[in-house]
Amino acid sequence: MGTVPTTPFETALAFSPFLQYREQMRKGEYLGNFDLMLLLALMRLGDDAYGVTIAQELEEQTGREVVVASVYATLDRLQERGLVVSSLGESTPERGGRAKRYFRVTGAGLREVRDARKSLMNLWDGLPELKGEKA
Amino acid sequence: MTQKQTPGIPTWLLKRFGCGPNNNVVLGDLEEQYQLTGSALWYWRQALKAIPVNLFKELRDHAWIAAASVMTGWVLWHFFAVMIFSGLSDYFFGRSVGAEIRLSHPMGSAWTILWAPVLIPAAINQPFSYVYSILLPFIAWAICAWMVRIVSNIYFEHVEDGSLQGTRLSMRIHHNRQNGAVLLFAGATLLLNLILVGPFILNIQQHSQGPSAELLYPLLGHLALNVTASILGILIGGGLLRDRSAITS
Repeated sequence: MGTVPTTPFETALAFSPFLQYREQMRKGEYLGNFDLMLLLALMRLGDDAYGVTIAQELEEQTGREVVVASVYATLDRLQERGLVVSSLGESTPERGGRAKRYFRVTGAGLREVRDARKSLMNLWDGLPELKGEKA
Repeated sequence: MTQKQTPGIPTWLLKRFGCGPNNNVVLGDLEEQYQLTGSALWYWRQALKAIPVNLFKELRDHAWIAAASVMTGWVLWHFFAVMIFSGLSDYFFGRSVGAEIRLSHPMGSAWTILWAPVLIPAAINQPFSYVYSILLPFIAWAICAWMVRIVSNIYFEHVEDGSLQGTRLSMRIHHNRQNGAVLLFAGATLLLNLILVGPFILNIQQHSQGPSAELLYPLLGHLALNVTASILGILIGGGLLRDRSAITS
């Protein structure tokens, strides 16, 4: 907090516990499934992570088609949370002269991934019937 | 290497109806991938899905801007309907089907305001009926949509978007964000028309008050023209049919 509200929504947010709760829910404390997959894809791709390569990486690993626009929509949200950063790259003729937007995982993003992995591993360990790929 | 031409229709749609700061980047990604794979089906799917994905993201991220912009458009339309069209109706025709409907049904006011150019002057029996059904709503809704775009731009100029800091100056993407408000305005207006037309038909069929049943089909024909002209007016007035994807600075 500490910032001066600049929009009607921010002003309402400052005074409404309901809106604050809703905003916290919207931002989400935990990583969603797609969020986590995107962060992992960024880590795998390194410096070559932009829309198409991220979508391809996810498709190769999950076998499901990924909408490029939803990759950007989700990464924008993760950027708002400080988990990734983006920068504009070069524009090439194959792209109709349009620039690429590269993404990179931040330190906070790495911590979130580690925390999520730890939480998931703990949860898996609590399910003995799933050991040995029975389910 | 020879550049392959991307499929025209999805590219046209995405350039015009695409919202948000990522639209140009998505267009570039799709074109790059299309040059590599040549899969038109993949391109179609990605382009058509990108429009609602980006639209809902924009509306979710800037809900109050979209709502305020749309309300501005509707308030302006209300002004047109009540102050201008009813005045024209009184001056030229002296009577009003709209007044009869307004008295006969609780939803009458909504009908007369939304369909003022058609209902208020009982245009189907009058000369210049197509002016009232097509030209007036087209112009008036276009002005409303233009105002929606202006208002949303004013709001966006004042919103600091943390997700784009460092890139927004070079991207200059406000024009794409305004598309979301205009699309919402067009969609909400179309939805309102569709919701109101059912009770309107029932009212005409069940009650002797209001326009008689013989007027139903011509009236519905004029209403259909009115709605089409309205939506087209919103799209053109709101600047959605202009290709703004080339604007990068």
